[in-house]
Amino acid sequence: MAETKPIRLLIIDDDAHLSESLAEVLELDGFECLVAGTAKDGIEAAKKNNPRVVIMDIQLPDSSGFQICQELRRHSREAILIMMTGRFLSAEEKTQGFELGADEYLIKPFDLQELSVRIRQLLSRSRG
Amino acid sequence: MISHNVPRRGKLAYKFVLWFLLVSLAPMGVLGWHLVNISQNVLKEESLRNQESLAVGFAETVYNYITTFQNVLAVASRLEGFASMDSMKQERHLTRVMQMHAAVLELSVFENSGRETVRLGRYLGDTPPLRNFADETPFQVAMQKGEYIGGLQRLQGLYPTLTIALPIVETAPTQAHVRKGVLLGKVSLNGLSQMLHQEFPEKGRSEAAVVAGDVKDSFLVAHSNPNEAYRRNASIAEEILKVIMTQSQKKGGGKIELADGKSVLGAFAEVKDVGWIVYVQQPIETAYLAATQMRRQIAKVFLWVVVITLLLSLAVAGHITQPIRALRKAVDRLKAGQFEDLPEMTLTNDEIGDLAQSFLQMSESLKEKTGELVHAKEELEKFTKFLEKRVEARTRELKAAQDELIKKERLAAIGQMASVVGHEIRNPLAVINNSIFYIKTKLTKDNLLDQKIERHISIIQSEVKQANGIIDEILTYSRSRELKPETLMVNHFLEELLSVYPFPSHIEVVKDFDPRDPVVHIDPDEMRQCIRNLIGNGIEVMPNGGIVRVATELVEQNWVRIDLGDTGPGIPPDVLEKIFTPFYTTKARGTGLGLAVVRKAVDRHNGKVDVRTEIGKGTTFSIYLPLSARGAAAPGSPGPAAAPPVQPPPMRSALPPQTLVRPVNPGQTGPGGAPPGKA
Repeated sequence: MAETKPIRLLIIDDDAHLSESLAEVLELDGFECLVAGTAKDGIEAAKKNNPRVVIMDIQLPDSSGFQICQELRRHSREAILIMMTGRFLSAEEKTQGFELGADEYLIKPFDLQELSVRIRQLLSRSRG
Repeated sequence: MISHNVPRRGKLAYKFVLWFLLVSLAPMGVLGWHLVNISQNVLKEESLRNQESLAVGFAETVYNYITTFQNVLAVASRLEGFASMDSMKQERHLTRVMQMHAAVLELSVFENSGRETVRLGRYLGDTPPLRNFADETPFQVAMQKGEYIGGLQRLQGLYPTLTIALPIVETAPTQAHVRKGVLLGKVSLNGLSQMLHQEFPEKGRSEAAVVAGDVKDSFLVAHSNPNEAYRRNASIAEEILKVIMTQSQKKGGGKIELADGKSVLGAFAEVKDVGWIVYVQQPIETAYLAATQMRRQIAKVFLWVVVITLLLSLAVAGHITQPIRALRKAVDRLKAGQFEDLPEMTLTNDEIGDLAQSFLQMSESLKEKTGELVHAKEELEKFTKFLEKRVEARTRELKAAQDELIKKERLAAIGQMASVVGHEIRNPLAVINNSIFYIKTKLTKDNLLDQKIERHISIIQSEVKQANGIIDEILTYSRSRELKPETLMVNHFLEELLSVYPFPSHIEVVKDFDPRDPVVHIDPDEMRQCIRNLIGNGIEVMPNGGIVRVATELVEQNWVRIDLGDTGPGIPPDVLEKIFTPFYTTKARGTGLGLAVVRKAVDRHNGKVDVRTEIGKGTTFSIYLPLSARGAAAPGSPGPAAAPPVQPPPMRSALPPQTLVRPVNPGQTGPGGAPPGKA
């Protein structure tokens, strides 16, 4: 199934190395990866390319991940939104994120194999 | 306080003495003086009268003396037939008279013509010449008036004599008296002087004298000192003569100042008929002797009275002032603040007694008030001390709180920094992780992955993981999330934890749970982290294998103790005291936060961590947690007597059960009351 049509994925993170390394790994796994460095670019790219999966950092220079999450959820009900953070999140923050439409949280650093599996699970669930 | 500087005032007793003396002696002095005066006057009067009567008496004597010889002559002249006798007969007769009366010195008979017919004299010889007295005064007076007394002369110029002349009268029964001639006699007056001498023997200046004539021409008839009288021109002091010769009274007397400055008391009396003056004198001292003696006596009495009054008043004043002095002593004691042993004060029934009574009451009240003051002062001191203690205690508390705050702030700052650093490191770690994963995947796909490369890739991955672990620890310690406590059974909680814990194979796990299965109210995540940390530590110190013992026990009433023991080398004392300090570590790799996290988490649960260690034998950490209020009556927790010994199956151990037992806490007793002291 991966051969037929690569799944489009958007990564929004101000850390260009992280975005790039993550994109490379996921491309190896058959994803088609887009990268954005700011919230503004990310939202634009998402609206333009309609990625199935968006992985975004909670802290971005121009906005917070929660705002992007809200914006993107408004744009697409189907997209899988994964929040990424380098710090602990309180329960309130997590709840807030879920309410705004986030599907999953990732605490950096994360196991890339696990990530790949998790994304596919979420995808199959949303399709189902 | 002041009295030491101010000169002491006169004593009351002296004042009393002075007043007593004044009051008692003044009237006596006045009275005495008056009495002396009166009595002296009386005595003087009396003395004078005495003198006067003496003078009068002697005047009588003198008169009698004269009269005696007058009579002798009269008798001789009137002798029957004397007038008609012849001269011879007359001479014989007169001679007899002279023999009878020694004082008669001369006797003469004159006939009418004045011719002397008979002349007899003791010092005239046998035949003295006869004289004619027709012109002589005695003869004429005797012939005309009948009697003559006078003619004072001094025999041989020394001895006073008196001439008496009487008419010789012939008495016939029918005829009238016829003067036939004159009988003249010269009488010695020495007898008077002798009489005076007997009466006034020489003593002092007492003397007496008989004087005739007047001031200018006096004749000393007699004197108590005969030598005074028996000399030519004998006389007495002129000043006396002036007094006694100018008196109109027949008798009198008084004080006479003599020329030599002395005073005498003199008295005089006139001798009847002849007009002589008898004078008696006495020195004034002798005269007034009685008065003087009386004055002396009174002075003596006065002196005695002074002395006695002095003594009496001293005694009285002493007696009166005694209570006052006692009072004064008492006041002095009071002044010095001594309320006990006040001098004894007799409460007399007078004002002083009242004063003493009042004073005693005052001192009582003063004592009471002072006592109250002292008590209040003590109370105040006590209170001050109490306050000081409170302040000290509060200061200590504040200091502790401040220290705690500083520590907390420092830890918070460290945590914040750690959080930031951790967060910042996580990104690069993620990138490394991603990249290495990519490399590994890519190489695998291209079949370029040889063993060595794979080995290094896994080393990098492992290190990244470790770095992440460290960051996790730091963030765990520094974050302060809210506790989410749940009511749990401790045994079950631990079983679950142990079942998923990745124990290495060389570690044996021994469980020793209290069958009463304590129930606690804890945050499972945080407590799990604690237990894991402690287990991890235990495993780390036993690289060559050992036993991890996990035990629970109900202690006291409301506490459960969770023991996590190892059989490692133990902790040396110098390390032991620092193990809970954040970032303190003895490991080559380690944050030094493991035990700090444990301490913090247990503290947050109002619990306590304890550690017991023995070098070479092992270490046991004990976590004390308060029992849940609900868990006290947790179902299915049978009493210790009924509880069958729990034989928990070793989780990952392949060793036989008998090796599971190891001595736990040898010689250690359980913790004391809630919450047990810090380790």
